[in-house]
Amino acid sequence: MEAVVALERDAQLMLRVREGDDTSFALLLERHRGPVVHFLYRMVQNQAVSEELAQEVFLRVYRSRKTYEPTAKFTTWLFRIATHVALNSIRDRKKEKGHESLDEETLDGMERQVAERQQTVEQEMVHEVKVREVRQAIEALPAKQRAAVLMHKYEGLDYGQIAAVLNCSESAIKSLLFRAYESLRGQLAHMA
Amino acid sequence: MICLGKNQQGADLLTGYLAKTLDAARTAELNQHVQECADCRSLIAVWERLDEFAAPEITPGFDARLYARIAADEMRPSWWRRLLWRPVAPLAAAAAVVAVLALFLRVPGTPDASKQASNVEIEQVAQAVDDLDLLIPIGSDR
Ligand SMILES: [Zn+2]
Repeated sequence: MEAVVALERDAQLMLRVREGDDTSFALLLERHRGPVVHFLYRMVQNQAVSEELAQEVFLRVYRSRKTYEPTAKFTTWLFRIATHVALNSIRDRKKEKGHESLDEETLDGMERQVAERQQTVEQEMVHEVKVREVRQAIEALPAKQRAAVLMHKYEGLDYGQIAAVLNCSESAIKSLLFRAYESLRGQLAHMA
Repeated sequence: MICLGKNQQGADLLTGYLAKTLDAARTAELNQHVQECADCRSLIAVWERLDEFAAPEITPGFDARLYARIAADEMRPSWWRRLLWRPVAPLAAAAAVVAVLALFLRVPGTPDASKQASNVEIEQVAQAVDDLDLLIPIGSDR
C-alpha cells in the first residue's frame, strides 16, 4: 500500500515539476537525495565522485521534466538514470586507469592514515578491517551484480524494479542476485 | 540436509527471505530450513555483515551546488547543452559538422535561414543520440 502512495506522490510531484513548479523538484530532491547519493557511493566507493554523479542524476531528472510521463514508478526511473550514470563512470574510469578500482591510491592512503591513527584502538581497527573487507567484496562484484545487490540490500527496490532498471527479466534478476550473494559469501563467510 | 539454494526456486525464496519480502507461511518454512542448514546461516550472516558498509553523510552545500549547476545548464541553448553532454559530444559534434556543411553547400545565399535550420537539425540529431544513449541496455555486461 505504501508503495502505491509513494508512487502517486513522487509522480505527482514530478508532474508538477513538468508544469514549472520548482518547489516540487525541491521536495523530490529532499526525498531521494540520500538514497541516490548512497547508492552511487557504494557503486563507486568515493564520496566526491558519488556526489558529482548524483548531481548529474538530478540534473538529468530536471532536464527531462518537460517530457516526463509517469509510465514507471518514479524510483525505478530515478535508479535507472543513477545506474546508467554509475556504470558509465565505472567504464570510463576503467578505460582511464586500466583497472576497475576507483581512486585506489586515495582510498588506500586514507585508510592507511585512519589505520595509523587508530593503531592503539584495537577494536576500531578490527571494525575498519571488517568494513574494508565488505567494501572490497562488493567492489569485486561485476558492476551489474553490484548495482542489483545495492538496490536490493540497501535501497529496498523490489525484483520488478531492479529488473526494469537493469533491463532484465525478474527471473534473471533473481538468479543474478543469488549468484552475487553466493560470491559475497565466498569472500566474507570466513569471518562472518 | 540439502540446501534450498541448490535449485532455482529455492534460491529465489532465499533472496526473498533475506530481504524479508516473503509471506508469513513461507518465512516460517524458511526459518525451519535455516535452523538446520549451515550454508543458509552463513548466507544470512554475510547479508547482515553488509550493514557494516555505511555511506557517509552528504556534504553540506550539495543542494546549492546542484541548483547552481541547474541554473548554468538552463542558461545554455539546448542544442549546445546537448553537444556538451559528454557521452554524446563526439557523435553530436560530427553530426553538427555534417549538418552545417550540407547546409552551406545547398543554401549559400541565406545565412540566417541556414543557421536556424542547422540549429534545428543539430538539436534533432543530438536529441536522437541522447535518446539512444538512454536506450543502451544498461544491464549489458560490464
Ligand atoms: Zn540452506
